[in-house]
Amino acid sequence: MSVSTSASFEYLERLPGVTFRRLYQQPSTALAIFRRMLPHLAKTFVMALLYMTRPLPLTDLDSWVQPNSKRERDQALSLLSRLHIVTITAPSRDDPQTVTLTSNFGSSLRLALTGGGEHQSFGVPSHNALANMDAAFLDDYARDQWEGILHYVVSSVAENRGHGGDGPTASVKHLLEVGKLVTKGKFTGGGITQAGFSFLLQEVNAQVWTMLLLWIENAEQMGLDSVEVLSFLFMLGSLELGRAYSTSTLSESQRQMLTYLVDFGLVYVPSTGTTQFYPTRLATTLTSDATALRSVSAGFDAALTAASGAKGFIIIETNYRLYAYTSSPLQIAVLALFTRLGTRYPNMVSGRITRDSVARAISHGITSDQIISYLGTHAHPQLVKVASASGNPVLPPTVVDQIRLWQIENERMKATPGFLFRDFDNLKEYEACVRYADEIGVLTWKSDAKRMFFVTRHEQLRDYIKSRKGK
Amino acid sequence: MGSSGALTYEDKALRKAVKAIFRHHIHYSPSPFFGHLDTEQDKEPETEDSIKTEDSPETEDSSETDLGAEQILENKKPLETVGQLKKMSDSDGEYVADNGSDDDLAAHQVSSRHGTRSTGPVRGPAGSATRGGDTNAGTSRRRAKWEDIQRSWDNVIEGADGSINTAVENLREATKRKRLLRDTTPLQRGIIRHLILVLDLSFAMVEKDMRPTRYLLTMQYATEFVTEYFEQNPISQLGIIGMRDGIAIRISDMSGNPTEHIEKLKKLRDQEPKGNPSLQNALEMSRAALFNAPSHGTREVLIIFGALLSSDPGDIHETIASLITDRIRVSVVGLAARIFICDELCKKTNAGDAGNYHVAMDDRNFRDLVMAMCTPPVTRTKKQSESSLLMMGFPSRTSGAGKAPSFCACHSKLTRGGYLCSRCESKVCSLPAECPACGLTLILSTHLARSYHHLFPLKNWVEVPWSQANRSKACFACLSPFPEIPSGALNGTHTDVDIKASSESGRYACEVCGNHFCVDCDVMAHETVHNCPGCQSDTRGQAEIEQDHATNGDVMVIG
Amino acid sequence: MNAVDGSDHYEVVTGGASPSLLVLVLDTNPHAWALLSQTLPLSKAIANLLVFINAHLAFNNANQVAIVASHSHRAAWLYPRTPSTSDDVEMSDGSRNVDNANKYRPFALIEEAILTSLRELISTTTEADVGSTTTTQMAGALTLALSYINKATMSYSGVSTESKAPPTSLETTDKPTGLQSRILVVSVSGDLAHQYIPIMNTTFAAQRLQIPIDILKLAGDTVFLQQASDATKGIYMQLRNLQGLLQYLMMAFLPDQVARKHLIAPTQEVVDFRAACFCHRKVVDIGFVCSICLSIFCSPPEGAICLTCSTHLALGEYGGKPAVVPRKKKKKKRINGGVETGSARGTPAPGE
Repeated sequence: MSVSTSASFEYLERLPGVTFRRLYQQPSTALAIFRRMLPHLAKTFVMALLYMTRPLPLTDLDSWVQPNSKRERDQALSLLSRLHIVTITAPSRDDPQTVTLTSNFGSSLRLALTGGGEHQSFGVPSHNALANMDAAFLDDYARDQWEGILHYVVSSVAENRGHGGDGPTASVKHLLEVGKLVTKGKFTGGGITQAGFSFLLQEVNAQVWTMLLLWIENAEQMGLDSVEVLSFLFMLGSLELGRAYSTSTLSESQRQMLTYLVDFGLVYVPSTGTTQFYPTRLATTLTSDATALRSVSAGFDAALTAASGAKGFIIIETNYRLYAYTSSPLQIAVLALFTRLGTRYPNMVSGRITRDSVARAISHGITSDQIISYLGTHAHPQLVKVASASGNPVLPPTVVDQIRLWQIENERMKATPGFLFRDFDNLKEYEACVRYADEIGVLTWKSDAKRMFFVTRHEQLRDYIKSRKGK
Repeated sequence: MGSSGALTYEDKALRKAVKAIFRHHIHYSPSPFFGHLDTEQDKEPETEDSIKTEDSPETEDSSETDLGAEQILENKKPLETVGQLKKMSDSDGEYVADNGSDDDLAAHQVSSRHGTRSTGPVRGPAGSATRGGDTNAGTSRRRAKWEDIQRSWDNVIEGADGSINTAVENLREATKRKRLLRDTTPLQRGIIRHLILVLDLSFAMVEKDMRPTRYLLTMQYATEFVTEYFEQNPISQLGIIGMRDGIAIRISDMSGNPTEHIEKLKKLRDQEPKGNPSLQNALEMSRAALFNAPSHGTREVLIIFGALLSSDPGDIHETIASLITDRIRVSVVGLAARIFICDELCKKTNAGDAGNYHVAMDDRNFRDLVMAMCTPPVTRTKKQSESSLLMMGFPSRTSGAGKAPSFCACHSKLTRGGYLCSRCESKVCSLPAECPACGLTLILSTHLARSYHHLFPLKNWVEVPWSQANRSKACFACLSPFPEIPSGALNGTHTDVDIKASSESGRYACEVCGNHFCVDCDVMAHETVHNCPGCQSDTRGQAEIEQDHATNGDVMVIG
Repeated sequence: MNAVDGSDHYEVVTGGASPSLLVLVLDTNPHAWALLSQTLPLSKAIANLLVFINAHLAFNNANQVAIVASHSHRAAWLYPRTPSTSDDVEMSDGSRNVDNANKYRPFALIEEAILTSLRELISTTTEADVGSTTTTQMAGALTLALSYINKATMSYSGVSTESKAPPTSLETTDKPTGLQSRILVVSVSGDLAHQYIPIMNTTFAAQRLQIPIDILKLAGDTVFLQQASDATKGIYMQLRNLQGLLQYLMMAFLPDQVARKHLIAPTQEVVDFRAACFCHRKVVDIGFVCSICLSIFCSPPEGAICLTCSTHLALGEYGGKPAVVPRKKKKKKRINGGVETGSARGTPAPGE
């Protein structure tokens, strides 16, 4: 799962069940969450359950899955129930455990697949469209807007500040500050925060999500309903690039939201007709997943090549030398955060990753994982091609390991929020719980001697322990 | 290629050779029903170029029918090809002098029957090295290999103008010729082989005298061997065993599925070779694996042996003796030097003929030696029956789920699934096999069907000039659009209709159905699918076409 | 954090589900559908299939779909549509349903295209076409599907058409990345014996390219399609209850290769490995095989001459073992070298 997925996904997981129920009333939301948030096996489960009339006994599901994929099965089911997509009946002595789709999600997803209903959640096209609204124009527009924001973030730390662009609007600046991506008083230098660095190092899609989530949190304070906001975003993801859509069916808060999206470059609103809007590629790819972005849509690449230097321009060798085929000041500034750049050519910069440069980046709050994932996502196609041909990792393992080691030099601890379980009655119970926690993928640490273990979340485990007690 | 004396034989010998080729080919080319194919060569001349462009790294199964020549040249050591050719020809008593144009003719006569495009180059000239080996080693010369050194530059003869063009040309001819000669052997696809491939995984394989290492190279060639083996021997079985740490390890079980073997080999690639090899252990394990092989098939062991020692738990001669009793033949490809025990092993298990023991000179030679083992071995039984009609059963497989396990007729083991003999319904575990009860040969029909595309080759597609390009906008098969017709291309001079490497309009047309295809689909149709997407997709009006053109990939036996 | 290891990170970078391409081969044989009209009319089956296609597309943004119709007299593309050769205008009435705000637009576009081409296909079918044959052009449809997959795989992996032939399939086993292609055949027709060789050719091609061929049999029984799915590790299913078509599709045929690794696929109780003879195109379970060219005949051919390679075949002694054709050159040398050094009958079998 990419960074972006987990970011938006963690946010969603925090939402209460009621919110989910309301969210799932929109077929577009159900479709987007299905497509974007779920691992492959979970999708398979959902589809199998979708047209099933009766609840499926859990034992039947078990017999469908390979015995050695139990772990994947448990993780998929655990995630599905956390997202309130399926309900699993509590174990009892009389009835076997069964699993069903929650009714809202099921009916919405069925509607999304078959069409019909009056939900209008896939956007109402506007018919008096401007003729000259082609994809290229929208891409340019989106790129300008987004680059403006990135420049603003970068220039708060990089040396070469003051280059072109009029920068983002005040509201965006405010948002960046509220979200602690940059701190105020940037003119005194070094205003970028750790969150800002990780923001910069993400891929575009993840950046967009980060911004949007910031905005949503912010919007809740402004009194907007997060459900409406979210379903509007999910609707945007299902729209088609280069088509005009009508604003007439939008709710008040959604219309309000539109102005912010214009600032982000997700939506273009022509100055003449205010009753229609055009989603840009940043918006239409909101619900695409990482591999989809990497692979098929060549147009997406073209649109974002300059916006983030997106598709592969970095070649890194085993001797820590780095060559980046880019002339974008933004990219170079980002690279300079963790590399020692040596020479610059018209279309390329070269440098190397050193202990000092990485240490400096870490002192800024960048983590090794961020650097590595940045290098990975921006690896030159040639690098990717060679790697996939030979079955090797994209980045040289020596470099990856070394970057991590450089970080570990200083950081020997990693904090994980979670819950500690201890004081078990007997070893058997302890072991059963540990095994279950491991299977559903929440176990972080355990000590067999002390009979205690640590998990990232406890809801299911609680149920499990209860069910054991019940027996 | 000291050819000055031979030139006098030229015409007679050549005719003879060509005749010989046809005589053999008649066996498996469906000529009476495909009469038009014979004449096709006239209107469709082929040049070196056209062959060259069709070369691709893609592997192709059809080694027997395959005549693309270019790649061989790269794969062969030049000195060898020349030397071997000479010997081989001499022993046959039909020495053929090299003469470029005439040889070309011979090449094309055969090739046009099979469709060169459909049968692109194989991975190397399988089979060729065997013959070379026979003549070299089989006569048990006294001189060691290193005494008899040949240098490639000794063979190069400068032409009158001082260039070596003619020499290069000759080499090319030689390789082509070699292919042809191999082609003349009767097709032996029906043969059922059981072969165990024994790989040396000992410390000796770490050596880097073959790049990148002996080990990696062996893995690569073994993978290619597996593919090639099953292409050439569709109803045969293969198993792989490794020697490491003084023991024999089972890499893959006897089976007829190349993918399984290749996956196992792939996993092996990550491991390091270490420890001593043990020939005896490996041979004993092979013997055990071949124990159940039915009597009508061959039992063979191919050892790729890098080490110069064998650390055995007992007397290897006893093992050799039991190998002989079990009718197992062993072939060895050495990577280092000749070893007495290997020589002994091959000799004893091959009826006194050490022709199956080779030591690779370099990586190319290594590959050739390994690939040569794809060719079915000679049968030494007296009953060299003629081509005959065999009765065979195509049993169904039952998984037997939910039923009580029952004894199989072949091993008396309790099993659930199995194949039921189509005549007497007794259960056997695996195919191909002979029904233990009624003696019917049982095989999987899919195994037979694997080679049918050789019988009904797909005709070559022709290039489409711009003048006819307006008939189509996109490839018929994959719907990818064709380039637009440039203005002026139509009224321009008609480019000469000579065969060109590629079509100017990017379109290729099937002559039977007249549909246009892109080059990818062309390659795909001829190398992989062996069906014409157009002909198979539309039967309207096919009736009369079929009568004129015979068929394109479909069966047409009864008129 | 203790596990510093390049490989586990690699998983994170390029992991995730790779897109899959589903090529649906729809058997539109009018005869067979006419028989089914009571239980499962074509229109209802199409509706179910459209939901299935949408579900496939919903899995992943990059998922692709292509549909071939295997009609009674020809195989034709339903989606993507064949560009017309003449320059007439692209049909413009397709936007009726497409602008519906209640439907995800990509779904609507595909449905529209499929229905239009299906209508076209049916309207261009003349009575003569229907009358002339009762089977379906399955081999052609499979060939088209394979060609399309081949092309899509190439363009996905970014290999330019000139530089390189398609990667040898056997080398690229279980690679996590790359387009995952599969073929689903919805078959209603019965016997395909006259297409035995072309179908087997496509089967082996699919095997080489590692494309599973799934078979969903609504009616009839086809030996060769069963063999095709068995050889390519696809799923073969004969529907007993036609009403449950959608649930079968969703449960058994929707998971792609990645998901199937975790699932237990429905298995075939009995795989029928019979072959079709070359002479009368009968499906036989005991046949006579020419030892030279491996042609199969249902009875010994006339005059004992192989109809395919015209070799004179020795008759009699049926059940004889496959014999090796003598090789001239070596025979001389070898035969006197020793006849079968070993024991006559090999090692004794355990039963003896």
